[in-house]
Amino acid sequence: MDLRALILAFAVVGCNSKPVRLVRGRKEGVPPTIRPSARIFAGGIAPPAGALGNPLPENAKTAAEGAKLFTSMNCDGCHGGGAVGFVGPSLTARRWRYGGSDGEIFTSIYYGRSHGMPAFGGALPPEMIWKIVTYIKSLPPPTDLPTESWQEVGGDR
Amino acid sequence: MRLLALVLGLATTAHAQSGDWTIPAKDYAATRYSSLAQITPTNVKSLHPVWTFSTGVLGGHEGQPLVVKHTMYVVTPYPNVLYAFDLTQDGYPLKWKYRPAVDQNAVGLSCCDVVNRGASYADGKIVYNLLDGHTVAIDAATGRELWKTPIADLTRGETVTMAPFVVKNRVIVGASGGEFGILGSIKALDLASGHLVWTATNLGPDSSMHIGANFKSLYDTGSNLGVTTWPTDAWKHGGGPVWGWLSYDSTLDLVYYGSGNPGPYNPEQRAGDNKWTASVMARRPSDGSLAWAYQFTPHDSWDYDATAEMVLVDLTIAGKPRKALVHFDKNGFAYTLDRATGELLVAEPYVDVNWATKIDLATGRPVLNATKATGASRGNVRDICPTLEGGKSPASPVSYSPQTKLFYTATNNMCMDYEAAQSTYLAGTPFLGANTPYHAGRGGNLGFFISLDPTTGHKVWQIPERYPVWSGSLATRGNVVFYGTLDGWFKAVDATTGRALWKFKVGSGVVGSPITYTGPDGKQYVAIYAGIGGDWFLLSGDYRSDDPADVRDPADFARDLARYTSQGGIVWIFAL
Repeated sequence: MDLRALILAFAVVGCNSKPVRLVRGRKEGVPPTIRPSARIFAGGIAPPAGALGNPLPENAKTAAEGAKLFTSMNCDGCHGGGAVGFVGPSLTARRWRYGGSDGEIFTSIYYGRSHGMPAFGGALPPEMIWKIVTYIKSLPPPTDLPTESWQEVGGDR
Repeated sequence: MRLLALVLGLATTAHAQSGDWTIPAKDYAATRYSSLAQITPTNVKSLHPVWTFSTGVLGGHEGQPLVVKHTMYVVTPYPNVLYAFDLTQDGYPLKWKYRPAVDQNAVGLSCCDVVNRGASYADGKIVYNLLDGHTVAIDAATGRELWKTPIADLTRGETVTMAPFVVKNRVIVGASGGEFGILGSIKALDLASGHLVWTATNLGPDSSMHIGANFKSLYDTGSNLGVTTWPTDAWKHGGGPVWGWLSYDSTLDLVYYGSGNPGPYNPEQRAGDNKWTASVMARRPSDGSLAWAYQFTPHDSWDYDATAEMVLVDLTIAGKPRKALVHFDKNGFAYTLDRATGELLVAEPYVDVNWATKIDLATGRPVLNATKATGASRGNVRDICPTLEGGKSPASPVSYSPQTKLFYTATNNMCMDYEAAQSTYLAGTPFLGANTPYHAGRGGNLGFFISLDPTTGHKVWQIPERYPVWSGSLATRGNVVFYGTLDGWFKAVDATTGRALWKFKVGSGVVGSPITYTGPDGKQYVAIYAGIGGDWFLLSGDYRSDDPADVRDPADFARDLARYTSQGGIVWIFAL
């Protein structure tokens, strides 16, 4: 399966901006990327980009398949069982370094991130990655994260 | 030969001043014993901080500073900055700092925090390892980089956290990555040039392991055991990394170290003994040839690395003088071996152990408890003691006092459940296949600091601690022993009785190892890093306290640890 075709397909489908002219001899058209919504836009103007959406049904079956992949493809080795965080960050906290949309999570897995998240796009077909995305998005968030209090327990076990 | 006066069984470097601390474990025997004696059980109560320094780094501050010729050298966790402090001037200003380029991809390939276990001084050079797989030699006087040699491959999941060990113009180094399916090996570089001299693997064919005609194993026979004790080709991703401490006997001319766990954690993917993972190796520093090896945990199914230090002491066992090697394994047994031959002399549990009932001294093998065997087909195997953190962590080295003839060590009082699953080898990603939650051991406290008689394997005294104890220890001729706790106390106890003498709250949990040295004023000083991390940054609340995106529910045990400590590296120096 050609991932670029897949991304372009979704980029076109989800595009709500005018095509952009890219410099340095690159083709005119919608870049195969997502809108970087987690960033600050210079001048308050977002760069034109397509949206990357999850092509799979986001249901319990897909999430369960993603959960299996999360273990068998070694995601839990860093992010912990249940993605609650281990040496890698928790993926349940609803706080995202690189954005928490389906497309942003897909991009993080596909291309990797420079602080050590490996790029799985060469090893895993996109469909597997989308299943993992569905699983991650299905996880229940932890309770009351901003405040951690020891008042009730008095510090004693 | 410039090195090596063997005094009372302790090798020291001749060019170092006696009050200096020039290599990680103080001496080649790895005793972490200092002959300094100004600080005693009587006066230690007046010990107080005289200087502190923030390293500006949040990772776990394992390892220890060095003091050479009135200069203190501090290596930080990633990004592996090297600081040189002038101890002769008021406020100990920096002489220089060395800030290398380190590939940040290494962060994601570190199983257990981006730690560094320190530097070694030799021949005017400070030699240490960068997380991204380089060894560097820095001019100790000027801070100038003399050489930088790649020794590990990030793309295969190799990172480097151990402190180099320098002997006979050989810089001996190895890579971490037992959780990434590396092929574990050890390398020697030339001290003067940094050029690679030899590489020996810890598993695989005899030729790559540097096993020749002179190799002897008292408990195993056959050739190419590093291949034949694995399913076809599984050794190629079999782990057996090198991330702990080394020691050296100049008379026998042998370097000792332990190999790490086999991969993956799911043992059903690697039927057999998995030699020579979880083993002690005795090699010639000149060519890397293997003189003998002994496997502590055949077919390790619990992540029991053998990377803890091999302490070289001369003991009388059953009335017979022995050149001994003492090792506190992650598997919960303390072993005493003959370091010339690898003969097993004593093996007794130093914490609660239930995966094996004992070590059979005749066969050298553990007598297994079948109910604690793990594997993907066995589901969740409950209550295995100790945990994969170890009876003690190899990151927390012991000390030995020739006066009391006792060992001193941090321990963990924890057990685990172990749910293995099939794992896929993908280079550069974790090769694990197990979920292993912990719970408190007997009594509910999570750790102890203990003393132990190596001739019998019996504990002499123990101090309960609320949390796992994860610091190294320091023994002194003044009969004071030092260690630190995860909740941030730095403590002094009586070496003979274990009586608490003094403590001070150092601002973050202690996972480093204390040192002591003589200052320019002739006074005895004690130094320690604060800076919780290693495996325990997971329990200190936020994973990265500088990253608001990274928050998580507290661990389901030790959940109040975050009340007493948070991340951040501080170097502390104390004096009377």
